Amino acid sequence: MNLDSKNNKEKFGSEIKKIEVYLPVKILKNSTLEKEFSEWSANKIEKKTGIRERHIVNEDETSLDIGFEVAKKVLQGYDKSQIDFILFCTQSPDYYLPSGSCILQDKLGLRTDIGAFDYNLGCSGFIYGLAMAKSFINSEIANNVLLLTAETYTKHIHQKDKSNRTIFGDGAAATIIEKSDKEGILEFSLGTDGSGFENLIVPNGGLRKKYDISAKEIDDGTGSIRTDNNLYMNGPEIFNFTIKAVPIVIEQCLAKNKTNFSKIDYVIFHQANKYMIEYLRKKIKIPEDKFYNNMLHTGNTVSATIPIALKECLDNNILKDGNKVLLVGFGVGYSWGATIIEV
Amino acid sequence: MKIDDFLYELKETLEIEDVELNEETNLKELEEYDSLSVLSIIAMIDENFGKRISGQDFQSITTIGSLMELIGMENFE
Repeated sequence: MNLDSKNNKEKFGSEIKKIEVYLPVKILKNSTLEKEFSEWSANKIEKKTGIRERHIVNEDETSLDIGFEVAKKVLQGYDKSQIDFILFCTQSPDYYLPSGSCILQDKLGLRTDIGAFDYNLGCSGFIYGLAMAKSFINSEIANNVLLLTAETYTKHIHQKDKSNRTIFGDGAAATIIEKSDKEGILEFSLGTDGSGFENLIVPNGGLRKKYDISAKEIDDGTGSIRTDNNLYMNGPEIFNFTIKAVPIVIEQCLAKNKTNFSKIDYVIFHQANKYMIEYLRKKIKIPEDKFYNNMLHTGNTVSATIPIALKECLDNNILKDGNKVLLVGFGVGYSWGATIIEV
Repeated sequence: MKIDDFLYELKETLEIEDVELNEETNLKELEEYDSLSVLSIIAMIDENFGKRISGQDFQSITTIGSLMELIGMENFE
């Protein structure tokens, strides 16, 4: 082994090359929710949450299906034989085992001498995906990483759960991260606090508490009903967590990158809901014109919100070449993370 | 904060127009009280008092007076 070889290596980094989005065909509008829940107003929902409609998978459509659709889309016009790693992020997997990413390797016709695995994260999932993709590229494990964030939370949600049916939508994003001659994905600050794990959870259905066909209905007191087989979100606690964690992780991320807000061109948060991220924006004093807040047609699509927002910003020329963009994801776990990318 | 100012803030936060609020008003019986207004109240309390009320404590809130006790009566005049 030539121990000097490390010093002779060329300098390189990683960059986001391409993003595509796939949204299921079926749409759930506020006007439909208003009809189902007598005390709910379509206008009020839109005003507060910033959501008018969200896409919902069909009964027979899964995270793997929408992950497959979005992967096909991103690979159009791309030499798919170049993909040498798949990262698949979902919390609504098709199977306990095997990994959806293995099935996708075959369905997409990708090489077999590549790496692939799934990881279980929610709203922080895209940030962690970028962190892993960058690390794999910089350590020469991979050159072209296909990062899929595909989520179908609506499968976990009770039909009578007014709040969660309002907030969440299904969706998938595919991001290709490539080796590049400069570093387009800068330093990361990540965070974890499992003490809040019960505040955003699907209690039953895993191996600790199995799916219970006779699970009783629980009324949360504000007009939402669920069982322990369903998604539970303690809204107040999640909001408290974000108020605490987000300003700190941003400060840490800016410090780690030896920069400050004046040098950041744009900020994209996980699009949780309009009210919450607008409050965080004001609290952190981010100028309104530097901040993305749009989930009008998608709702909160969990790990897909940041790449969806990023693509919208690129398509609409909100972001220009060379812009430095601060990305922040936070939620279930609790898990959170921030990074800066150069577009 | 003066109690009257707090009641005014709360009214604004909950976007209530036709009902007068006082310390005896039961928040959960207000037509405007739902999971979204809980978020608004959390934001209002963080902004004005720098305090965070836990989700569990929110469950136990009944009247505006009980919310004020959670914030801490020393914050009111």
